[in-house]
Amino acid sequence: MARAQPIPRQPIATATGPLDLLRHLAEFWRRRDLLWHMTIRHLRGQYKQSVLGYAWAFLNPLAQMLTLSFVFATLLRFPSQGLPYALFVLVGLLPWMFFSSGLSSATDSVSGAMNLVTKVYFPREILPVAAINTKIVDLLFGLVILAGLMVVYNHPPTETVVWVPLLFAIQLIFTAGLSFPLAALNLYFHDVRYLVGVVLTLWFYLTPVIYPIEQVPSKYHFIFDMNPNALLINAYRRVILLDDSPAMDRLLLGLGIAVGTFVVGYFLFKKMEAGFADRI
Amino acid sequence: MQTASSAAIEFRNVTKRFQMRESSLREFVPAIFNKREATPPFYALQDVSFTVNRGETLGIIGRNGSGKSTALKLIAGVMAPTQGTVLVGGRVSPLIELGAGFHPDLTGRENVHLNGSILGLSGQEIDDQFSAIVEFAELQEFIDMPVKRYSSGMYMRLGFAVAVHSSPNILLVDEVLSVGDAFFQDKCQQRMHDFKQQGMTIVVVSHSAETITSFCDRGMWLDHGRVVADGPAQQVVDDYMATVPQHAEAG
Repeated sequence: MARAQPIPRQPIATATGPLDLLRHLAEFWRRRDLLWHMTIRHLRGQYKQSVLGYAWAFLNPLAQMLTLSFVFATLLRFPSQGLPYALFVLVGLLPWMFFSSGLSSATDSVSGAMNLVTKVYFPREILPVAAINTKIVDLLFGLVILAGLMVVYNHPPTETVVWVPLLFAIQLIFTAGLSFPLAALNLYFHDVRYLVGVVLTLWFYLTPVIYPIEQVPSKYHFIFDMNPNALLINAYRRVILLDDSPAMDRLLLGLGIAVGTFVVGYFLFKKMEAGFADRI
Repeated sequence: MQTASSAAIEFRNVTKRFQMRESSLREFVPAIFNKREATPPFYALQDVSFTVNRGETLGIIGRNGSGKSTALKLIAGVMAPTQGTVLVGGRVSPLIELGAGFHPDLTGRENVHLNGSILGLSGQEIDDQFSAIVEFAELQEFIDMPVKRYSSGMYMRLGFAVAVHSSPNILLVDEVLSVGDAFFQDKCQQRMHDFKQQGMTIVVVSHSAETITSFCDRGMWLDHGRVVADGPAQQVVDDYMATVPQHAEAG
């Protein structure tokens, strides 16, 4: 009767060596059913209380795209790599909105599920990852607008668009990795959610969403090389609109930062996980 | 005496300390510089050791703040002990707060899947148990309705049904035996007794003496985080009740 032996139960991770992280990842994968159901749960809650429901997922990027185009193309005459500005800005805006709404929602995900966290054990990282997954649906609605815009400007996606899944995978890893410690810290300090809001606003201006990277003097390029969102948005524009493969050095840099952020973030999250239910 | 391999739960010198912490940076930053602890630590459990054997029904009794709920949370694995070791063998199903994971906008059906997967069931296991769960909860006609339209009794019934069908090895019960109407309560009690007959390990936390003596073989009395008495349920409960003032006993 092997099963009858009391197994040392350490569901709450106090051990976080490199091999333990792999073990946690395996456990996370084993519970993917739960991730799916949690994502559905989030999704149902998201627009449920609003009159327009999922229409918001259309209206938000549409309104932003129109406003930014009016201000920066019509009034300020920003260059846009020879592309229609609306198309240029939307290809940057959609990944940015995914990142920023995913990060905000994930930061609140654990503190918003305390009734579960204090009752039953499951890998807690399912909560922020489900919150981020939910935003994929918003992104899909945004893609419908992008498709419409491409028809309007007669600018179909170029063949290099096949790179998009890889770029998106890097973006998911980065977003999840960054959200882990924020979701954990938000339990201890409610300031974290406000801090995230402020940082995201500044980060938006330091990411080439509304302007092309070519406008940036080269002595400031290092800022953008450290910013995976900048690397990814540049790459999205190249592969979707400019028929160009991503710059390999930039792609590897983005991948490196994303994986590094994920490993460190996951480690910190698992380190703090044992104390989540102690908040009373 | 039974051997170690028949143990389902084992606490070895378990201490659980809570430290009230500052909840915003405005309070936290000064606290670092002042090098003082904002509040004294609170010991929910102090050097507690006990073993629950497979198939045993243990009732933990004690006043509010005695450490009962903390013990249950340590078994459920939502908390880690500050010191000592907690060993648990098998799948634990916490009946701690029925339907805690329910989402009001999801239908009964969707919530069964959600709650089942929270409790660690695979999609296949949930599908296999689904009709049994719905039948037990007596919600066949309402299963595709959002649970926000359920009465609180229906809500609880569905939560109880999912929890008891998650084929746990260890069932944790926290004051929830009074679910729904009298008829359904009988059914729950019956189900709990069936589990007991089948040799499931059950831990019940209650400050109701009656709940514990009617259901549990063994009793444990906790007070201020320490085990005061551990033995046959009736005897432990009698000892505990002797310390409770008469007017409190009535309530």
